[in-house]
Amino acid sequence: MEHNDMKTEEDRQITPLGIYVTLLGLVTVAFGMADILVWAGVSPGFQVGILAIAGDDFFRWAWGGFIVVCAGLFMLAGCTRVTSLQQSAKVVLGGVLVWLIAGTDIFARLCGAIPAGETSPAFFNSVSGFLAAFAPPYTPAVLLLPFTLGIVYLIRIHDTDDS
Amino acid sequence: MTPSAAVVAAADAGGADVMVFSSDARWEMVDAITRQTVTYGTYKQTLGDVLGDLTVKPLTGIPVAVAALYAFWSVFTSFAGTLVTDGFMVKFFDGFWLPWMQSVWPDPESWLYFLFVGNPAADTCFEAFGMLTSGLFVSIGVVLPAVLVFYLMMTILEDSGYLPRLAVLMDSVLHRIGLHGYAIVPIILGLGCNVPAVTATRILETKKQRFIMMTLLALFIPCGAQLGIMMSVLPDLVGVVMLCLIVGFGIFGFVLHTVIPGENPEILVDVPRYHWPVKEYVAKKLWNRTKGFLKEAVPFVLFGILVVNLLYLGGVIQGLANLLEPVFVTWFGVPKETVGPLIAAFLRKDLAIAQLSTIPMTTYQMVASVVLVTIYFPCVATFVVMLREGWKELLAAIAVLFVVVFIYGGIIHGIGILLGVA
Repeated sequence: MEHNDMKTEEDRQITPLGIYVTLLGLVTVAFGMADILVWAGVSPGFQVGILAIAGDDFFRWAWGGFIVVCAGLFMLAGCTRVTSLQQSAKVVLGGVLVWLIAGTDIFARLCGAIPAGETSPAFFNSVSGFLAAFAPPYTPAVLLLPFTLGIVYLIRIHDTDDS
Repeated sequence: MTPSAAVVAAADAGGADVMVFSSDARWEMVDAITRQTVTYGTYKQTLGDVLGDLTVKPLTGIPVAVAALYAFWSVFTSFAGTLVTDGFMVKFFDGFWLPWMQSVWPDPESWLYFLFVGNPAADTCFEAFGMLTSGLFVSIGVVLPAVLVFYLMMTILEDSGYLPRLAVLMDSVLHRIGLHGYAIVPIILGLGCNVPAVTATRILETKKQRFIMMTLLALFIPCGAQLGIMMSVLPDLVGVVMLCLIVGFGIFGFVLHTVIPGENPEILVDVPRYHWPVKEYVAKKLWNRTKGFLKEAVPFVLFGILVVNLLYLGGVIQGLANLLEPVFVTWFGVPKETVGPLIAAFLRKDLAIAQLSTIPMTTYQMVASVVLVTIYFPCVATFVVMLREGWKELLAAIAVLFVVVFIYGGIIHGIGILLGVA
């Protein structure tokens, strides 16, 4: 009975999970495109609330933006019959790419936050200085991070299937 | 396992006992091993399997490879550049070590001061160029963190099972330049250090493949130390320099593949499942690789600075600079002062780039001279390993190298003139 229910869930084209993945994919593609466009000079960098795109260097915004676009496209490619293994894998791969960009952004902040500034005589940053380095604004990938946690559910259901 | 009755004992020429198994006994052993090691059942595809397949298919695999490279480079620059070198080492060496050395070492006019401390007016270790100032700063402050994080990332990629997938993905591209997918191993290793990379060319089957790979490694793959220095002294130009090197790698790889006779066979790659790297193995590999690198890097950097300073004192570098001026200024479009760093490049390329950073140059000249230093003669450690692989191959590689440096240096200058930057 449970098996049949699962089948029905897999066969259904539009599910709440599918809608979530579609929306996530669309936003991810939009964020990735924004990264690239700002880098290309369409806008001289912008900040909206806690979201900021500096667009000042090729590596982070053009190359990184391309990866975010790919992540969104992978999610969109897997948004129908999302619980099937093949489709889930595409969504998970998209999530992994977002985690990779967000992870490197956070790691870059961490590495910049540990030492004191160039002009300071001290070697290590103060605690308040360290914490201040993690204050907003954030890059699009970091903002996407909490919203991609739903993808962990897809990993979990297939993990349960395997065991 | 107990050998069956069919086992016959015989004696070899030396008198030692040799076990000779009959065909039946061998099959019995195969069956016994199979019973103990093989589990039969229905194969069920897992999420990991599908992800593994997706990272090998070009449509999905190429973006993943691009992302892996991004993460690799991002972690490398954040850790080695921002955190360790810029965050702590520059401050320590320029703020404490250099002023201390300058104050305690006697007689700034002496040649011993010039050799060990360097320029008495220098404010930074890059400018000083003494054995105990720039030498220690380059080897410990810049190269060590760069190499450490590079080998950590490399080991994680290797042990997680991604590297064989990258080999499969790159196979068709690398076949166009006479190599196959597993050539990605020496290429990535070369980005850490060319010495193990040259040894890793043994993974390639034919002489032709090994020769092409060794030559391209010596020419177009900058080592981790070089990358670390480039990031420190010219961070805005690393992208342009790398682009010049990647284009050169493709063009000259294709030319070598076309010109050199020989086979380029297909490979059969065993692609393991994705898995979490075991931290004990990662730590062990990291330690062995870093230890090996440090053993040769630190003495070579210190010795390199000593030799270059002696050559400066003896007027040899000035003489060579005057002699080679027409080639450097007219053909390559770089100042004649770059002759000194090119000589230093034979000892350590990272050292040469540090030296280049102190010469006043235009952006074009800086890019051209860094590319020249990279594609010019391999450093002495790589040279020795290449010699171990065969002196004929080494001589051929050097001949190719001189031709490529001359042609590619001229091409870059030509492009610079056309773009109006040279």
